[in-house]
Order: sequence, then C-alpha cells, then structure tokens
Amino acid sequence: MKNLPAYIVLLPLCSALLSLALSKIHRHLGRDVVFCALTGSLILSVLQLRQVIAEGPIHYVFGGYTIPYGIEFSIDTINAVIVVMVCLLGVLSCMFAFNFDTKGDAVQVGGAYTMHALLVLGMVGMTMTGDVFNLYVFLEITSLTAYCLIAMGGSRGVVSAFRYLLVGTVAATFYLLGVGILYSVTGTLNMADMAKCLAAGNNDSAMLMAMLLLIVSFGIKMAQFPFHGWQPSAYTHANTGARPLIAGAMGKIPAYAMFRYLYCIYGPGFKYFRFILLVIGILSVCGMIYGSVRAMAQRDIRKVLAYSSVAQISYISLGFAIGTPLALAGSFLHMVGHAFMKGGLFFAAGAISWKYGTFDLNDFGRIYKKMPWTAGLLTVGALSMIGIPPTVGFFSKWYLAFGAAESHQYVYIFVLVLSSLLNAIYFFKLIEKVFVQGEKNKRELHPNTSLEVPMSMMIPVVICILVILLLGVFNVKLVDILLISLKGVAL
Amino acid sequence: MKKVLPLILILVCLGAAFWSFDFLPEIGDAGSKPNTHTTDYYIEHATTETNSPNMVTSVIVDYRAFDTMYETTVMFIAGVAALLILSSSPNRKNRIRTHHVRKNREHRGAPVYRTVNKEVVITIVKPLILLYAIYVLFHGEVSLGGGFQAGALMGMTYILDAMVIPEREGFRLSKENSAALGGVGTFIYVLTGILCMVGGGVFLEYKKLPLPVEVLEKHSVGMLLVEIGVAICVMATIITILNAIMERVHFDDDTN
Repeated sequence: MKNLPAYIVLLPLCSALLSLALSKIHRHLGRDVVFCALTGSLILSVLQLRQVIAEGPIHYVFGGYTIPYGIEFSIDTINAVIVVMVCLLGVLSCMFAFNFDTKGDAVQVGGAYTMHALLVLGMVGMTMTGDVFNLYVFLEITSLTAYCLIAMGGSRGVVSAFRYLLVGTVAATFYLLGVGILYSVTGTLNMADMAKCLAAGNNDSAMLMAMLLLIVSFGIKMAQFPFHGWQPSAYTHANTGARPLIAGAMGKIPAYAMFRYLYCIYGPGFKYFRFILLVIGILSVCGMIYGSVRAMAQRDIRKVLAYSSVAQISYISLGFAIGTPLALAGSFLHMVGHAFMKGGLFFAAGAISWKYGTFDLNDFGRIYKKMPWTAGLLTVGALSMIGIPPTVGFFSKWYLAFGAAESHQYVYIFVLVLSSLLNAIYFFKLIEKVFVQGEKNKRELHPNTSLEVPMSMMIPVVICILVILLLGVFNVKLVDILLISLKGVAL
Repeated sequence: MKKVLPLILILVCLGAAFWSFDFLPEIGDAGSKPNTHTTDYYIEHATTETNSPNMVTSVIVDYRAFDTMYETTVMFIAGVAALLILSSSPNRKNRIRTHHVRKNREHRGAPVYRTVNKEVVITIVKPLILLYAIYVLFHGEVSLGGGFQAGALMGMTYILDAMVIPEREGFRLSKENSAALGGVGTFIYVLTGILCMVGGGVFLEYKKLPLPVEVLEKHSVGMLLVEIGVAICVMATIITILNAIMERVHFDDDTN
C-alpha cells in the first residue's frame, strides 16, 4: 500500500468529477458513488492512521522526484487523526444530506454532491500536504466549494456567500503574500526544507512580516475573533445538508495549517516566537469572551451555534499560544471533539428543522418527547461544549488548563473558566427549552416515519453521541497518539 | 470616525509593510535564494529529465503536475458553481425568458451597421480559431501554449457561434452536458496519474506509464494526455458559464 495517501485524495476527487456525468444516467447515481468514495476514503484513512502509529511518518512524493523539486504529502500522527475526523464527518453529513435533495433535478443533486466531495477533498489535502503552495491550491478548493455550498442555501445564503467570498479572497491573497516573502528568502516551497533554510539563515524581519500576514489569512479562514465577521451568517444560511460539515470541520483545517507554520516551519528558535504567541493568545482570549457573549443574545439555534464557534475556535488557538506539549494535545483533542460537537449540534438542528421546519429556540418546547435521540444529541453536545466530565469537552479544556498551569500563564486559566461559565449560560438555556419549556403545537412536515427521523439522519445523530462520549472516555489514548508527533515540535 | 478608522488602519499597515520590505531580493539578483536553491536544478535538469524543451511546461505539468491537477479542478468548480447558483434555483417561474428580451430588441429595429455580414465572417473565422487552438494544444509541450490556452480558444469559438448567431441551429451543448464534460476532462488528467500507478509507480510518475514506448517518450505522452484533459475542462467550463448566464434566474426563494 505505498500509494495509500494518494488514494485518500483520489477517491473523492474522481467521484466528484464523474458525479455530474453519472447523474445523467440516474438522478441519484452520482450521489451514491460520492457516498461510496467518501466511505472508502474513511476506511483508508483509518488504515493510514494505524500505519503511521506503527511505522512512523509517511512521506509520499508525487511524480517520484527528489524532495525540494516535487510535491510531497507528509503525514504524522496529528494530521492522520485530523484526516480521519474530516472523512468521518464528510461521510456522516453526506448521508445526512440524502434527506434534503428530494426536489432537485439531476444537475442540482449531482452538483451538490460534487461540491460536497470536493470540500472533503480540499480539507483532507490541506491537512496532509507538505508543500506550501499545494496548501494554497487546496485552500482554494476548500473555499470555492464552501462559497458554493453556502450560496445554495437560498437568497440569504447567496448574500452571505458573497460576503465570505470578498473576505476569503483577501485571506487567500494574504496567504500568497506570506508565502511569497518566505520563498524570496528561502527559495523553496517544501515545508520541511523551508524549516531547514529558515533555521540556517538570518531573516527575522522577513519571517515576522510573513507570519503576521499568515496569521491574518488563517484567522479569516478559521473565523478567529477580529476576523470572524463573515462566519455567523455563512453558517446560518448555508445549505442544510452541508452545514454540519462546513461548521464542524471547515474552521479547524486552517487552524491546523497555522500550527504547521508556527511550530513545524518556524519553530521555537524564531526570534519573535514569544511575541507571535502573545498576539495569538490575546486574540484568542478576546474571541472566547466575545463569542460567548454574542451567542447568549441569539434566538435562532443556528446563530447561537455559529457565535459559539467563534469562541470555540479560540480554545484551539489558545492551545497554540500556550505551546507546551499537553496544551497542544489539548488543542487537537478539542479540534477533533469540537468537530463532532458542533457537527452533531447542527445535525440535531437540521433534524428538527426537517421534522418541524423551525430553527427558533422558543419552538423547541419539550421536543424530547417526540425526538428522544435528537434531544439526547443536543444535550450531550451542549454538556460537552460546557465541559462536563464524561464528554470530550471537559478533557480538552483540562489539558489546556494543565498546559497553561505548567507554563505559569494563569490568565489563560481564568479566561478558560470564565468562558466555560458563559457557555453554561446559553447552553443550559438550550437544554431548558428542550426539556422544561411548555410544548407548542407544531405541525409535522413529515408525519409518516417509523423512527423519529429517517435512518439516514438517525445514523449521524447516534454516531455523534457515541463519538463525543467515547472520545471523552478514551482521551488518554488519543492524547498519547498525538504526543508521539508533538514531542519533537512543542516548546 | 467609522469611515476614517479603516482608512487610517490601511495606511498604517501599508506604511509599515513598505518600510520593512527591504528584505526582498533585488530583481535579477543571481545570488538570491530563489535563484540558487531550486531554480538552478530546474534549469539544468528539466529538459533532460522530462523531455520537454520548454522549462515552464516541464515545471507546470511534470514537476508540479499535482498542483496543476487541482488548478484544473478549480476551473471545473467555477463552472459548476456558476451553474448551481445562477441557473438551478428550485423555482422555475423565476427564470428569465430570453425570447422576451429578443422580441424587445426587434421592436427597436435592426442595428444601423450593415457593412459586415457577421454570419459569413464567423463562418470563415471559426475554423481558423479552432485550427489555431489545436496547434496550441499539441504544440504546448514543445513551446509556448498548452491546455489552458487551447481550451479558452475552443470555448471562445463556441461563444462566438452561440452569441452572434443565436438563431442558427448548430453544435450546442446543454448545461447538463457541458458540466459533465468538464468533469470528464479533468478526469482524463486524473486518469493519466492513475495509469502511472497501474504501471507500478507513484501518482503522476510519467516514466511508469504502461505504454510500449521509450522512457522519455512516456513523459511526452503523459504531458499530452494531461494537456488534452485540461483543454477539454477549460472549454467545457467556459461553455457551462455561458449556459449558466443565459439561463439565469432571479433569487427570491428562501429555503432553509
């Protein structure tokens, strides 16, 4: 299996390219092929993770050239884990989207799944690549498909997608500027080679300039606090089938890319490293408070979850700002956990809107009677967001706080606790609506179902509950896997 | 204040950037890092390793062919996205009907210029453009040109035909077919890479193509296949975008 990393990106790519042609034969054939391809990628990515744990990092060079001249995929345990996360969420949301394509014609159905598969492909590629320009190409694919999937959510979606497009183009330009500066002082595009050249040469001012540009660019893409303006409306009005994938995974991948630049390419030897960490720390602290406060004021569940994402992505960057191995492991645990919490909460919101056609929190009164599993997912997801012990949310915050205590940055612990309390306020409001508030007479849009929602919605809901709980219980195992690669790069 | 603040911020950032941009190497500096680290390797080895006399082509579709594959995919995404957003709204009554527009044009009378007979000129020019496109495509790996340019020329021929003489029935691709064709074009590119894996190499390793020719010839064949894929994708994308614009709809649905 020497071509394993290539297969993981090729399966979704081929299925996406042929989806429209196959949809001409039968309306749903393209969709089914995309689903099978994504499942195949998921299985292969699990195999890849096992191989990386057993045999160490994989380096796969396309075209068979030597390193700085060809393009390389380099996979260590961290990005192998993230690839598994993206693929699993991709498969689940593809399955979830089956329920929302009943009306469209061949082009709409085939096209939507083309975009879906390409979004997964872009994120997987961004995670695995070891080449800075190749990362840009994958970033482009991720952004373009995301614009399209957001615009497919109706006329408000078009407006939010256009706003995201304008801001996202600025981010892409800043990324290219940063890469251009780094190329001008190193002459290479390969990440490992670039790290070597930067360590050897004396280019501190160029590196500082490039890093600031890169922070802005990734900050926009991951909706870090002062750059988050596009995000709430984009998450709110995106296409319902794709929303869990967009909200769950899309913000995490630029964060991982930022980690790559900070710790793998620059490294602690960089003169202004502490200064950069401080900047990221300040942005994260502001974001954690701001996102939580804004989320408290919303009534639409999609807006609540979107603003909560602004806060939650800051936990991840806070881990980068602390920089000890445990804090970084906490960040990645939060990255994986939050993908399923936020994805799961959007699955639940989507299921409720499929059944009752509403996203308003005030309409959720005693919904647990009609939809016990969905209400269960809402509860588990909300508890995990707050950080209640058996769920993954508690353990990621625990590792973050532990790392902050290790490096004596007690301000971060204070903000972590404060932000968790703010989370508790608005997520208990959600739990109260689901279990306590009086029932409203709601008309069911799809009355004749044997389960509470069809099987293809039920599976993502149940799997998300399981993943949130299991990641919490077996967190030590995952952190050990992450620490294999983190030991070498952290502070 | 709200309008002035961003302006001040932009000026400060730009000023800081220009003030500190002195680390960039001078244009044409032979000793700068980019010119000594990788570029020299490409200059010395490109023609012998990839059998392409054009170094730019050898970097684009051989050393960094994996990037170009995704750039082609980006083209495909652009076409499909335009189609999905502009012309696939669920509400069919919102469709802008082109024959209404045309009828209005007839009311206003015929255009005053009568010197050029567009139908005759287009018929003469079209085959010339197509011939040039094919020349650019097959000559791409040897000299300037390549799949992107050839595809653009072919797409332009279609646009000329469809927009200048819309009444005439000729070769027309529907929006479903053009979008599917774009995907198939990019798939030819991917297939070239997969064939290399079938031959026992890694992805896009042209010298392992399972063909009965010499090693260097395999590079040329691989590049040619890739360029054909790119050309088909670009042509189909241009046609798709044209279709999307011609069948565009208003937005006044708000599905959740």
